[in-house]
Amino acid sequence: MTDFLRRLLRTPQGFLGSLIVGLILIAVVLGQWLTPYGPADMQALARYGAPSVEHWLGTDQYGRDILSRLLNGARSTVVMALLATFIGTLGGAVLGTGSAYLGGRADEFIMRTVDAVMAIPSLLLALLVVSLLGSSSANALLAIAIAFMPSMARISRSVALAVRKQDYVSAAIARGEGSTYIILREMLPNVIAPIVVEMTIRVSFAVMLFATLSFLGLGAQPPATDWGLMVSEARQYLHRSYWILLWPSAAIALTAIGFNLLGDGLRDALNPRT
Amino acid sequence: MSANYILKRIALIFYTLFIVSVLVFGITQILPADAAVMMLGENATQEALEALRQRMGLNDPVWMQYLHWAGGVLQGDFGTSLRTGQPVGPALFSALGTSLTLAGFALVFMLILAMPMGVIAAIRRGKPADLIVSFISYIGVSLPEFVTATLAVMLVADMWGLLPPAGYIPLSQDFWGGLERLILPVVVVSVMMIAHVSRMVRSELVDVMHTDYIRAARLKGLHPRRVLFRHGLRNALLPTITIVALDVGYLLGGVIVVEEIFSIPGIGRSLMSAIQNRDLPVIQAGVMIMAATYSIVNFAADLMYAWLDKRIQYD
Amino acid sequence: MTNSSQPVLQIRDYSLAYHVPAGPVPVLKGINLQIERGEILGLVGESGSGKSTLAGAVMRYLSGNAHENDGGIFLGDTDLRAQSQRAMSDIRGRRMSMVFQDPATSLNPTLCLGEQLAEVLIRHRGLSRAQAWREGEERLAHVGLKTPAEMMHRMPHEVSGGEKQRVVIATAFACNPELIIFDEPTTALDVITSRQILDLFAELQSETGVASLYISHDLALVSQTAGRVAVLEKGSIVEEGETGELFRNPVHSYTRALIDAVPRPERRLVQPLAAASATPLVTIRDVSVSYGRKSLLDSILRRDFQAVVGNRAITLDIRPGEVLGIVGESGSGKSTLAKAMTGLNRFDGLIEFDGRPVRGLADMNRDYRRDVQIIFQHPDASLNPRQKISEILARPIRLYGDRTDGPARDRIAAMLERVRLPASYIDRYPHQLSGGEKQRIAIARAFLSNPRLVICDEITSALDVSVQASVIELLMELHRDTGAAYVFITHDINLIRQIAHRIAVMYRGDLIEIVEADRIGDSDRAPYTQQLLAAVTSPAAALGG
Repeated sequence: MTDFLRRLLRTPQGFLGSLIVGLILIAVVLGQWLTPYGPADMQALARYGAPSVEHWLGTDQYGRDILSRLLNGARSTVVMALLATFIGTLGGAVLGTGSAYLGGRADEFIMRTVDAVMAIPSLLLALLVVSLLGSSSANALLAIAIAFMPSMARISRSVALAVRKQDYVSAAIARGEGSTYIILREMLPNVIAPIVVEMTIRVSFAVMLFATLSFLGLGAQPPATDWGLMVSEARQYLHRSYWILLWPSAAIALTAIGFNLLGDGLRDALNPRT
Repeated sequence: MSANYILKRIALIFYTLFIVSVLVFGITQILPADAAVMMLGENATQEALEALRQRMGLNDPVWMQYLHWAGGVLQGDFGTSLRTGQPVGPALFSALGTSLTLAGFALVFMLILAMPMGVIAAIRRGKPADLIVSFISYIGVSLPEFVTATLAVMLVADMWGLLPPAGYIPLSQDFWGGLERLILPVVVVSVMMIAHVSRMVRSELVDVMHTDYIRAARLKGLHPRRVLFRHGLRNALLPTITIVALDVGYLLGGVIVVEEIFSIPGIGRSLMSAIQNRDLPVIQAGVMIMAATYSIVNFAADLMYAWLDKRIQYD
Repeated sequence: MTNSSQPVLQIRDYSLAYHVPAGPVPVLKGINLQIERGEILGLVGESGSGKSTLAGAVMRYLSGNAHENDGGIFLGDTDLRAQSQRAMSDIRGRRMSMVFQDPATSLNPTLCLGEQLAEVLIRHRGLSRAQAWREGEERLAHVGLKTPAEMMHRMPHEVSGGEKQRVVIATAFACNPELIIFDEPTTALDVITSRQILDLFAELQSETGVASLYISHDLALVSQTAGRVAVLEKGSIVEEGETGELFRNPVHSYTRALIDAVPRPERRLVQPLAAASATPLVTIRDVSVSYGRKSLLDSILRRDFQAVVGNRAITLDIRPGEVLGIVGESGSGKSTLAKAMTGLNRFDGLIEFDGRPVRGLADMNRDYRRDVQIIFQHPDASLNPRQKISEILARPIRLYGDRTDGPARDRIAAMLERVRLPASYIDRYPHQLSGGEKQRIAIARAFLSNPRLVICDEITSALDVSVQASVIELLMELHRDTGAAYVFITHDINLIRQIAHRIAVMYRGDLIEIVEADRIGDSDRAPYTQQLLAAVTSPAAALGG
């Protein structure tokens, strides 16, 4: 484990990514206690405030403290994105590896169908699912998870097939190992690494998709502190203060960059042969 | 590449559209919306509603409704919009034209930028140029379209007043005015793809430049330019075709957001308003058209790849 | 410009080290070499000896972290180290050129063969495209290609490996260079093809009088090709001399070890079978394997489906304790048969093991799995990179062992000792071991189940000569101790003649014949067998028995 961490922190991507994601996770876990103000505390006299000593990141159109709202929103935005990615990956991995395991006609049928679903842009698919279920954070989560499944299924299948062809799996079959052992001990450890890498990078897409849904009014609803929603609301007050627009945008971008970097770092660190 | 392969690929497009049609029809069937109420309004009489339902076949079993709808689609009839009462097809196809103009410009703009960026990063690997490109691409893949769009409007339109903040004029009507309004949307929608494709070009080219045949070409004393362009780039850019085609999925998603923000009357905007208004026939047709666009682009990309790379023996 | 007394290539006191984060790693140390006009210098060394780096140093094609001392490299009277990259690109391909190991990777897959040949003529001889193309055709005809005009327009994937290598050779000779470096030019080719390539090389060499640096790991081959040989060990030339003399009276211990490691058919490493009349351990009857599946589109269009044949009705038997060699070129179906016998391929036909019929996967019970073990070619691929040696070796014990044998860890330690690996390796991961060590782990895994038949699928072909010799020695020792029968699949005919009781020859999925190992050279053998044997360089003739 320490060896793995050392390898992760050795690459610039792994180091930067771990740092950013670590900070974000601290904000997610401790955010509530770190906020100087309540996310909904309005101060009529301090509207559109520029960054200052009292309000590090300034205040918004109702005089709410932006830093407090961002920290508060970290929980909903990042946790939702993580959950959505995890569910989507799990579903996709089960579908993909299952398809690879079945092989033959069943595999072809499943994968062609998955390809077909991939013809619908994932944002559109998420929009459809949300409109079917109704606009809310929970439904947006489900929508993103569903939108991720086809591509994750494709990726897990190709990884599983590549591992399946390896000689160590052949050796296990020739030895007469049961399929449980082959799947759990021979294949899974080798399949999981690339999927974890892909999943980490996906979290950044989930953050962005999530924010986009909120922006389009189909995710979190006001007065939630979801970052995408904050950007959407800020657009109307652009000419009064650009800070209210800039900070949530930066938060989204930073989170996405962090998970992107971490994913690239993990790719190197999880390779057993380097 | 054989006729067999092309045949198979075309069959696959039809299968894709079939699955998408079943999916989208299923979703729109479950959507809590009563088409009859939407068309006649809340105050319509029960009899009138019932009569309309009968006429529209809304009382038929779902599969019959599907067959009826699919049959119509196959003949180019996408039904009538519940909101406007106009046929869906013509309106959506003209919106598609608008969106394709936007997407087409974005693709060209992306390629013009992403390819040189990737190539420069690859041949200057580890040097400042590489780091700059890689920094730009990390930022690029981390900015959702709505953020880029909002920031761009804030800077370029509001603060500097260089370009109009929104709106659309068909190029056929006023070329320069239309182009001026297209600049921001095109740039915004291509940022993500520029970042992604330049990274792909870079890693493909780095891999190719490490192959034995590149070493062989260098050791034959060929001019470095010839080694890079004739031997390296050709092989590195081939897989990019596939990547770009797959990115068209992102592009179409981005088009939805960008059309919404810049008020461009394209298919994305039509879809968004249809989803908000639960205009089922428009949703169905819009999704079908998007999926078809994606499938056809990918089919074209596969054909192009196979035509350029004679190694691929499709059966 | 080069006067006749001057060597074509001269390397003086040349050293090179790669700088890595851990510090400099010396790769070449004080190299002194020279090659005269018309001479072939063989450079022999194992992997990691620095022979490819030396080729790179001569071509001035080194990676950025290479640091050289002030030794000299001269082509004629040109100081190559003083040349700029620009000047070098005028020298490369014109005054010296290179032939690479694998023609499949050294030719650009997306350019036609003609262009890859003609571009050199255009670049260095200033020919026009049309002239270069015409000359290219002549060159291709000259290297023995039957339809040169057509060949020019073919893509690399459309021609065979031997044809590709001919094109590469034609390209190397295109500008009548002073020096050609051959970097293992036949290693990636099949036996018969590589013999033809060698013949072509010899012909062109004597015709043009070009000086050649011939790099190879294959001593027998070098001894027949080169006039003079230099032996490279860990970056130093430990011995150099006239070929015959060097092989007859090697001075340096490393040279001697290398020569000893070369498999010689006449030096048998296996005891004769006690009773040849014993009932067979395995009987294989009409076993066929085919690949591929009828596609949905084929069935819809009612088209005939052509399956790819892997094996065609193979019939043979294996006696208890026998070493049965199977030889053939790539694609001959050797490995396919091994996979069928271990349940990795579906097959038609019957395998009888110890009297028990096996018709398919379902019949391969626990006893059969225990009794029949397979070892693969690449230990890198056959050992799970995410499992420690302890887990890898514990599996056969858990699967087939009985509890009375003592704790698994003790048995693993004992087996490690038997395959001559330190017991401390038990807690290592495969990537922490060298190639030969990894293959020993794979062997240990097979023998932990006390098998009665071990299938060795090209298990030494990825290893260096000296490592191969020690692995073979280990295998023969285990053979003596356990009495297990071996099926030894290989393309190395000298090796198989050393260790097999009988040899089965396969060609394109068919079994050509099975012969006693000492009768394979007889004149009444099948024509293909004779052809195969004729293509092999006999170390006896070459190295002096």
